[in-house]
Amino acid sequence: MTTLEKLKEILSDCKGEDIDITPETTFDELDFDSLDKVDIVMQIEEAYDISLGENLQLSTVGELIAKIDEAVANK
Amino acid sequence: MQTKLTKLLGIRHPIIQGGMAWIADASLASAVSNAGGLGIISAMNAGADWVREEIRKCRTMTDKPFGVNIMLMSPHVEEVAKVVAEEKVAVVTTGAGNPSRFVKAWKEAGIIIIPVVASTALAKMVERAGVDAVIAEGGESGGHVGDLTTMALVPQVVDAVHIPVVAAGGIGDGRSVVAAFALGACGVQMGTRFLVAKECTVSPAYKQKVLAAKDISTMVTGRRLGHPVRAIKTSYTNQYAKLEADSNYPDEKLEEFGVGSLRKAAKDGNVDEGCFLAGQIAGMVNKEQTAAEMIEEIMAQTEKLMEGVKWEV
Repeated sequence: MTTLEKLKEILSDCKGEDIDITPETTFDELDFDSLDKVDIVMQIEEAYDISLGENLQLSTVGELIAKIDEAVANK
Repeated sequence: MQTKLTKLLGIRHPIIQGGMAWIADASLASAVSNAGGLGIISAMNAGADWVREEIRKCRTMTDKPFGVNIMLMSPHVEEVAKVVAEEKVAVVTTGAGNPSRFVKAWKEAGIIIIPVVASTALAKMVERAGVDAVIAEGGESGGHVGDLTTMALVPQVVDAVHIPVVAAGGIGDGRSVVAAFALGACGVQMGTRFLVAKECTVSPAYKQKVLAAKDISTMVTGRRLGHPVRAIKTSYTNQYAKLEADSNYPDEKLEEFGVGSLRKAAKDGNVDEGCFLAGQIAGMVNKEQTAAEMIEEIMAQTEKLMEGVKWEV
């Protein structure tokens, strides 16, 4: 499973419905509230056994994927 | 009564006073601490000087531990975070976010850190950052609220973390303290009841609103802007709700409509333009008492109900 596919799974789970995302999708469009965002970060960190840092800013899906891949590579 | 919370904080009763902005000052915090609970000064949006002054004032009024509540969205959060470390306050509670970036400095200052959380994911995140306990606050509470109720949130947070959990939201007497214990909490945080404490310096009009409130007197506004708050229904909240429902009314103007409304209620007692934040238990709060009388009454009821109960709290 690619990071994009995994992320789609996590974001869909949080939204309560299947959503389509591309690397260009922004988190503004996705309209998650602050508790959703915390939940998403926790789910990613647990799934990949990584830490995304304390001041993570969620802008686009592509940037988040890059951060996940980087953290996984540095494990 | 001893619980994991009283042992952690070195206090007599497992009751933390809520960090109510514009309301929780040295007067209320010292009264609650002197009564054996944990008093809290709210740093709200205030600057470093005000917070330092209030901490020092509180020290002249009590020799018991007390804490400071830091609102993480405050424009002055960085400087206030430094002040509490410099002043080595006993406890910091935090609201509106994730305080992980301050944990190291506060731990080095010997501060006990207890963030307010509204979901299990945030509870797990702050536990991992090294905090000492969490306050799981349900949407029955006054002020900023999440969707989950105390009944649903507390046991799920208790299951999610290994640190002590304090319950908040909808707690105002011994029955609700025992209910919190049953859900797995080892203490409670209360705000609304302390609003009418004799030592609470909030405006007399605010106290009257709380004393007159009944069960259905509060409502939540502000969902549209992403920061819902619970307050006592007034012409202000009704007007806000109308504007909020009007999709032609721009977000910026709605934001403007809210600015300063809590100060107007808490300090000026302005019943037309003030926003009187209070929790759903306001209907149970029917008399002014000293903080000590409140805590003694609550704990007497708690201990009576806990007779013969063998839960570990």
